Amino acid sequence: MPPEAGRSVEDEERLEAFEARIAGGEKIEPGDWMPEAYRRQLVRMISQHAHSEIVGMLPEGAWITRAPSLRRKLILIAKVQDEAGHGQYLYHAAETLGVPREELIDALLEGRAKYSSVFNYPTLTWADVGMIGWLVDGAAIRNQLMLAQCSYGPYSRAMVRICAEETFHHKQGKEMVLLYARGSASQRAMAQDALERWWWPSLMMLGPHDSDSPNTPQLARWGIKTKTNDQVRREYVDEHVPELQGAGLTVPDPVLRFDEASGHWVHGTIDWGEFWRVVKGNGPVNAERLAARRSAHEEGRWVREAMAAYAARATGAAS
Amino acid sequence: MTPAETNAAPDTQWPRWEVFKQDAEGKPHQAVGSVHAADAEHALLMARSVHARRPAAVSLWVAPADAVHAVTAEQLATDPETPAPFGAGARRFLVFRKTSHRRSMTFVEHVGAVTAAGPEGAVAAARETYPEPPALAWWVVPADRVTASPEAEVAAWFEPAGTKTYKQQSEYGTLAAGHRKGGRR
Repeated sequence: MPPEAGRSVEDEERLEAFEARIAGGEKIEPGDWMPEAYRRQLVRMISQHAHSEIVGMLPEGAWITRAPSLRRKLILIAKVQDEAGHGQYLYHAAETLGVPREELIDALLEGRAKYSSVFNYPTLTWADVGMIGWLVDGAAIRNQLMLAQCSYGPYSRAMVRICAEETFHHKQGKEMVLLYARGSASQRAMAQDALERWWWPSLMMLGPHDSDSPNTPQLARWGIKTKTNDQVRREYVDEHVPELQGAGLTVPDPVLRFDEASGHWVHGTIDWGEFWRVVKGNGPVNAERLAARRSAHEEGRWVREAMAAYAARATGAAS
Repeated sequence: MTPAETNAAPDTQWPRWEVFKQDAEGKPHQAVGSVHAADAEHALLMARSVHARRPAAVSLWVAPADAVHAVTAEQLATDPETPAPFGAGARRFLVFRKTSHRRSMTFVEHVGAVTAAGPEGAVAAARETYPEPPALAWWVVPADRVTASPEAEVAAWFEPAGTKTYKQQSEYGTLAAGHRKGGRR
């Protein structure tokens, strides 16, 4: 937040006009005036989001070679490719705020950047691929539908496009889990096991409790976030609990109950200690994820060098 | 050889290219985002992977980001541009604009072309030529800096996406627990 003392009268007037534009439902576009804190918050959120898409390729990508049918393999390849594309849409949105893509990618590779906590859990069985689609993408879509309303044009547009594509991710995962849930005893057990490992991480990925989200009031005032973390989490739970139960699966929360008065599901206490451990780099596979990203970057170096040399030669030949 | 010996660029991001996608014949090209690429051909291939994984696309344009002159209505109101005098150096600019705050996947769209001595002049000419509806943002790009996807490649580049129905959410219909029949495998 800009310090009050440093603000000129002109800044105050601009801020007022800026907030009036947002209150009137206008989108802020690159080139428009914006408070430095608005820019900074957006860079923080969009870059974390971009990194999450990129790292998000890893848990499922590991299963492409082991998909049980050609159809499932095609679906999984398309999904992982989508995540790569979503990372690109978001890096582009961040770049419109004046941050070079290279700087963002370096921050990720050097372990200085945050990304979604949920991708630091291992994918132990094939059912995890289905459960990630249904729950992790289901939670992500809830968050992204909210962000599609965002006041910053480039972020909003990336979200609209991503939501359209992720609906496929959500549905293919749900389809797979529903199939296993009504399959053989071992298939049902595999689906239940995946649910038990992914349920709580999927709740955590929607971010800290509102009381630990100091940025939220300002983000709401500037139309960046139109709902709080807990509101989005409640939408996610309300959507998914009845469907999981309908599939005959047991949500691993002994105190989960439907509250007639409010019309919402009430879940048990989230283990925030675990959440912060994972966010701070000490989750089950944080180190493995970063090592995989770095190795992909290094293994692609010769391709980048060849492209640069080819372009340099072509340019030289033309001039 | 090390990059220094080959005199190649260091291992760094390539130049940025703005990407415009046309969904169907007769529709305008629309700004969909940007890619980093070593040259125009590379940029088109990147654009195809990033922005045309699904229908519908029939054409892509790419332009180096530094060739794009972008200005918003707010900037024009608070800090009017001074066009260079129209003279011998006049060139053709493609004009793109955005006219609505509605929820959208795309930004400015192609509306036509103007001839001007420089980008500021092109914006001024665009505002005169295309006054309605009022634009919220303008982009002008020298026409000779825009590279289009090859005509001969339209089928090869864009038609396969149409057959990959498994990545369309509509393929899955409404999925409900307890439906024993009707769900696809």
